[in-house]
Amino acid sequence: MLITSIKSKPVYEPLRADVGGRYHLMLASGPGGEALLRVLGEIRDAAPQALQNTRALLVPGADAAAHSNTATRINEVGVTDVRLFDDVASLLTTFRTVLDESLMGTRLYVAGPESFIGLAMKLALEFDMNKDEIRAEELGTSARRVYCVHCRTTTEDVKTNIVNCAGCQRWLLVRDHYSRRHAAYMGVMVDAEAPGELPPMREVYL
Amino acid sequence: MNDAQTLAVEVKAIEQITPLIKHFTLAAVDGGDLPAFSGGSHIIVVMRGASRVHRNPYSLLSSPRQLSHYEIGVRRMEESRGGSHFMHDSVQVGSSLEIAHPVNLFGLDKIARKHVLIAGGVGITPFVAQLEDLHGGTVPYELHYSVRSPEHAAFLDTLRSREGDRVHMYYDSEGHSIDFEGLLSRQPLGTHVYVCGPAGLISRVTNTAKSCGWPNSHIHWEQFSAPPMGDAFEAFLARSQLTVHVPPDQSLMESIEAAGVEVPYLCRGGVCGFCQTRVLELDGELEHNDHFLSDADKAKGKSIMPCVSRAHGKRLVLDL
Repeated sequence: MLITSIKSKPVYEPLRADVGGRYHLMLASGPGGEALLRVLGEIRDAAPQALQNTRALLVPGADAAAHSNTATRINEVGVTDVRLFDDVASLLTTFRTVLDESLMGTRLYVAGPESFIGLAMKLALEFDMNKDEIRAEELGTSARRVYCVHCRTTTEDVKTNIVNCAGCQRWLLVRDHYSRRHAAYMGVMVDAEAPGELPPMREVYL
Repeated sequence: MNDAQTLAVEVKAIEQITPLIKHFTLAAVDGGDLPAFSGGSHIIVVMRGASRVHRNPYSLLSSPRQLSHYEIGVRRMEESRGGSHFMHDSVQVGSSLEIAHPVNLFGLDKIARKHVLIAGGVGITPFVAQLEDLHGGTVPYELHYSVRSPEHAAFLDTLRSREGDRVHMYYDSEGHSIDFEGLLSRQPLGTHVYVCGPAGLISRVTNTAKSCGWPNSHIHWEQFSAPPMGDAFEAFLARSQLTVHVPPDQSLMESIEAAGVEVPYLCRGGVCGFCQTRVLELDGELEHNDHFLSDADKAKGKSIMPCVSRAHGKRLVLDL
């Protein structure tokens, strides 16, 4: 019914280096580190001096053990400025200060789960970065951030087609309607017309 | 736009502000307000001379908040086809002119975090109005203004008194030059650069910005090309079943208009793309002088911008 081919759902492409940029700012969560390593290989081949203008901000993600050596491997490619964070929130805090001191000519690469990409892009958007300057590749969980249109609370890490809103406890249908400014999908009350009648709950965003 | 939609204005004041630039103040003949516009807009001035009609684009430099009159600055061109000489020599206080409604092809980016404006010579005019829009706002901005020598610095006193050290002057006569690399390699994220002036200045700015890694979406420029002169040629208008002779000192668009056929236009300077016309047959070569068509489209030869472009060869058939 409500879930149709909604055009606002973001589509991500595999990351490619853009050596037209002077500065390369890279963010990864969990398995996203592998995509960064691939891009760094391209930069090393095409414009090795640009590695000196490259910095990476990393967060281990859900399976920390599997990605424990990402920072070291990025170091080994020739990037000296690699910072590791405990969680996405502290990475984003630093990301904001980095954006604030970044110059025109910066390219942003984001790799990781879609919710991580969305949060990074939301910040980059505040700094008037646009699609010519930002590249993103989705790797990892597709669990969604869901913005409740009724109480404006965002519920994190939603894997199911319907979800109980963390703010108002309404049952929400998770739509494909995506907001870049909220970095979240829209959730609308699913049983407004027939209270208590809920469609079967299924895990769809894994 | 065509002549049926023009506004009748009267010249209220003329001031020679530099050796080459005259400053004109225009007001509606009926005394009312003129249409609203935003900084960076231009108008087309229709000049009905004794032997021909000129239609030239001029940026509005008056305040967008003041609609009782419009102000434009007209530089006397050495190789004029007549338009700027008409404005300088034949137009007097009290003269009537027709103008087309303002159109903005050079607007400020509304979500920019900083604006860098770069003007060369009479290219200052759109920025005078844009600075009115920027003044008092929260977004930082700076103007870099390059002229031959101090006597050529139009509007500098006004700009200096209001903008203070946001105005950076460069005088060729003193050997100054803009350090483009230094300027464009040190701008914060979210900066937009705007350039208006001679072709050489525009290409220096756009090329340097790109080499500093700026995406095209952050680089804005405007240059109204006067229609270049060239060899005479003929065009056949297929729908009107008319042959038009284009003399060396007249543009294709002007010749078509002189034959009584209307071509839609906004800028008449090869920028807006509004007059793009299909080429149905061509035995010869097109001489593309516009800034609108891509190089690939120019090479295809299926379209022409009659405001500034010409042709050589035996036959040119247009979808008009």
